[in-house]
Parts: sequence; structure tokens; C-alpha cells
Amino acid sequence: MTAKLNVLRYVLGAAMLGLWRNRTMTLGAVVTTAVMLVTLAAFLAINDTLNEMVTALGRKSNLIAYVRDDARPSRVTEIMQDLEQRPGVGEVVFVTKEDALRIFQERFFDQRDVIDILQANPLPASVELRMDDPAVLPALADELRGMTGVFESVAVPLDVVERLVSISNVSRAAGTAMIVALTAVALFVIANTIRIAVYARRQEIEIMKLVGATDWFVRGPFIIEGAFIGLVGATLAAVALVVMYLQVAPTITRLISFLPIATDVSFVRNLAVFIVLVGLVVGSIGSYVSVRRYLAV
Amino acid sequence: MQGVTKSYDGEPALADVSIAIARGEFAFLIGTNGAGKTTLLRILLREEPFDSGVVLVNGVDVSRIRGAALTKFRRRIGVVFQDTRLLPNATVRENVGLPLQVRGRANREIDVAVDDVLGRVALSDKGERFPRQLSGGEQRKVALARAVISKPDVLLCDEPTDSINPAHAREIIGLLLDINSEGVTTLVATHDSEIVNNLRRRVIRMDAGTILADEAVGVFNTS
Ligand SMILES: Nc1ncnc2c1ncn2[C@@H]1O[C@H](COP(=O)(O)OP(=O)(O)OP(=O)(O)O)[C@@H](O)[C@H]1O
Ligand SMILES: [Mg+2]
Repeated sequence: MTAKLNVLRYVLGAAMLGLWRNRTMTLGAVVTTAVMLVTLAAFLAINDTLNEMVTALGRKSNLIAYVRDDARPSRVTEIMQDLEQRPGVGEVVFVTKEDALRIFQERFFDQRDVIDILQANPLPASVELRMDDPAVLPALADELRGMTGVFESVAVPLDVVERLVSISNVSRAAGTAMIVALTAVALFVIANTIRIAVYARRQEIEIMKLVGATDWFVRGPFIIEGAFIGLVGATLAAVALVVMYLQVAPTITRLISFLPIATDVSFVRNLAVFIVLVGLVVGSIGSYVSVRRYLAV
Repeated sequence: MQGVTKSYDGEPALADVSIAIARGEFAFLIGTNGAGKTTLLRILLREEPFDSGVVLVNGVDVSRIRGAALTKFRRRIGVVFQDTRLLPNATVRENVGLPLQVRGRANREIDVAVDDVLGRVALSDKGERFPRQLSGGEQRKVALARAVISKPDVLLCDEPTDSINPAHAREIIGLLLDINSEGVTTLVATHDSEIVNNLRRRVIRMDAGTILADEAVGVFNTS
């Protein structure tokens, strides 16, 4: 037990000494890592925002068919049951005239008086569809439009949804590619820094192994060094992220308040924590990999 | 070791070498440059793989050592390398204490042990120097101190008196005999004819990768 503690103390000391001896390279690796991770964070934030926009829009109806006041309720029920069976259709909801009025009143609170003075409820009931697969929407809309005895009109906010879905798909793919690429770059930079340190100390490694050091004793300082670079780089990135958020978020929110942009505090905090963890893991893995080949002594 | 063969890129370095050294024994390994002495010692430390034959050290079959067992195996062996292999960026004290450091000993305990062995090689006043600030002979003494500090069962010395003047060489060998008398099996590869002739110990003579002679009381002759 005390032996383990002594080794740990040695490993930490050796790691700090190693970082200090190569302080120029250490600094370079830290800054590069920080820049990589800030870029990574920016992409994650954009991606998250787009995803939220798509989800938010997806929650709304993809198709609304307004029911004529004189339509037979049993016929409407029949059509709804049929729609539920169709492939690509997610959910079929009936919104009564009363519901429609209530929703209208909630949404336009200010104009409440206008409605109040109306004798009858002017809003139609509607059948609303939420799609699993937006591709079948156009055909479905045409079909419902043909039922002139049942539906007054059919509304499809199709274009917006479609465009957003495709943007989101592209951005998700690009985002994933960026995440992989940037993580790889950070990994490479850290691994390379450690590789140079390992190379400079390869004889030392060999000697230590020959006098009875375990692999962990030799590897430990390098892994701590890599983890340290990753951690400090990531902490810098996280600080930069929070500062940028505090500066930029209020402006963005003001400019495009109608979009559900991912700028709430918990998201930024999670992102910062995530970035720090990525840095730590990337740093550790990078050094683990670089020391490996010199341990076969 | 039994029937050991080893070649480097097709060039034979050891050819069917068989020797047995008993626990606690002291033996010299002599032979011309390139005879295979260093190669033999490196195989005993499992630093270098070999092609065929069987090598047992401390009852352990060297060719079967894997992973963590290697560390355990090497901790029972002290080595003075022909090229000393001191850490250039570490002081004499740090170099000598390294075997204990890697074993996770406490710094206080290491300090005491380092004081003790540095005293034995008469380098107490040079503890804070770096290897490059020492003479060749002093570096060799540091290497010896490092080899014995962990009280190994087996001591392998490759030219421990190389570049050490005769008076100091006798001191070093005296130290090796002391250590051997404490029960440490000691194998010393050397070119130093004076020492071999004076000590009248077991001599294993090598040439071109084979054992030429193995005499219980041997002398160094160059024929
Ligand atoms: N790493 C290596 N690669 C290739 N050949 C080697 C290597 N090490 C040793 N040899 C060869 O193996 C043979 C034995 O070398 P070894 O170092 O064992 O000799 P030695 O008896 O220790 O010699 P010396 O007295 O000069 O130290 C020599 O011919 C040498 O050239
Ligand atoms: Mg040699």
C-alpha cells in the first residue's frame, strides 16, 4: 500500500518535471488542444441548436385538415381510423371547435375581447396529422383535399419541415465528421508531443525496465503529462466557451428570439464539463499509445 | 543454461552454450572481443531473446516470462552493464536509488540505502553530481552501487573494472567478493587478466560463441 503511494508520488513528480523540462512543447500542445476543443464546442452548440429546432417543428402538426361544420362525425371518425393505418403516419389527433377556440384564445390573449363578442364560435374543428415519414405527405394532402364533403381545406407546412429536416441531416453528418476530425487532431497533437518526450527518454525507459520497473511506473508520468495537457487545454477551452456564451448569447437571443437556440446555462455547463472530460481522455489515450512501443524491453 | 543458440541477423553469437552456476557461486566469464559474453549476460536478464535451448535463472524458465512476471524476475537480478546505462539527467544518488524507487520504497529508506552503498564504492562525496561530471571509473562504480542496492539474488557484471585503474579495480573486485560472500550468485565478464589470475576462482572461457573451457580454478591466458 505505501509502496503504491510512493510510486504515485514519484509518478506525479516525474510528470511535472517532464512537463516543465519541455515547457515550450507543453504550452504549444495546450494551446492547440484548447483551439481544437473550442471549435469542437462551437460545432456541438450549432448541432444541438439545429436538432432542437427540428424537434420543435416536428412536435407541431405536419398536416391540418379543417373539418366542415356540416360534416358527419361518424364519417370523420372513419377517415381518422383509416389514416392511422397508413404507413408513415405517426399520430392522428382530432381538435374540436371548442379546443380550437381555447388554443386561439391562449395564443392571442390580447384579442380575447374580439372573440368574446362573437355570438358563435367561428373556428372549424380539425384533424391534425403528425408524420413519421414526411415523404408521403403530398399524396395524403391531395387525397384529403379531394374529400370536399368532409374537409374545408387542407394545410401542409411541408416546405419548412422538409428543408429543416434536410439541413439537420446535413449538419448532423457534418457535425459528426467535425467532432471525429477535431478529436483526432487533438489526439494527434497530444500523442505527438508525448511521443517526442518518450523518444527523448527512450533510454531512460529501457533502463528503468531493466532495473525492475513495472510498465505502469514507466508509463505513468507520460500518461499524467498527456492528461495534464488535455485537461489544461480543455479547461482553457471551457473558460473561453463560458466567456463567449456570456458575451454572445444575450445578443443572439435578442436577434432571433423565435428560435429555440441552445443557449441556456445548463447546456453550456454540460458542454464545458464534456470538453474537459474529452481533453482528459484524449490526453491519456494519446500518451498511452505513444509509450506502448517503447515498453517492449 | 543448456544448449543455448543465438544469432544476430544470421550471424551466430552463441552456439550451443551450456553452463551451470550454483546458487551463491562466483565465476568469471572471459574471452576475446565478440566472444559472446555480453550476449550471454543479456540473455540471462531476458533483455535479448535467443533462438534455441533452455535458460533457467533462479529456477525461472526465461523464455516463458510474460508481462508482470518480467518485472518480478528482474527485481531478483542486479546488473552492471558494459555501457553503465546511467540516467544522464539524474544525479548519482537518484541513479543509485532507482531500483528502490521503482519498487516504491519510501524516500527515507532509499536515502539510508544510498548512503550505505555509496560508502561502499567510496563515492559518498559525489552523490549530487550528474554522470557526465564523473570519470569513467566513477561511473562504473555508480553502476555497481545501483546493481547491488536492491540486494539481488544474482549479480551480473559486464566489465565492472573496465577503465578503472588497478588499485581501484582491486577494490571493486573486493566489493564483488564481499557481496558474493553474502550469498549473491555473481557472474563477472572481464578482460582483466590480473584480477582473474590473482583470485583463483572459477573461470568460464568463451570464444566465438562457444565455451572453450570451464575451470574451477582458472587463470587468464591469451593463447
Ligand atoms: N545488437 C547486436 N546486433 C548484431 N550483432 C550483435 C549485437 N550485439 C552483439 N552482436 C555480435 O555478437 C557477437 C558477440 O557479441 P558480444 O557483445 O556478446 O561480445 P562480448 O564477448 O561481450 O565482446 P566484448 O568483450 O567486446 O564486450 C559479436 O560478433 C557482435 O558483433
Ligand atoms: Mg561485452
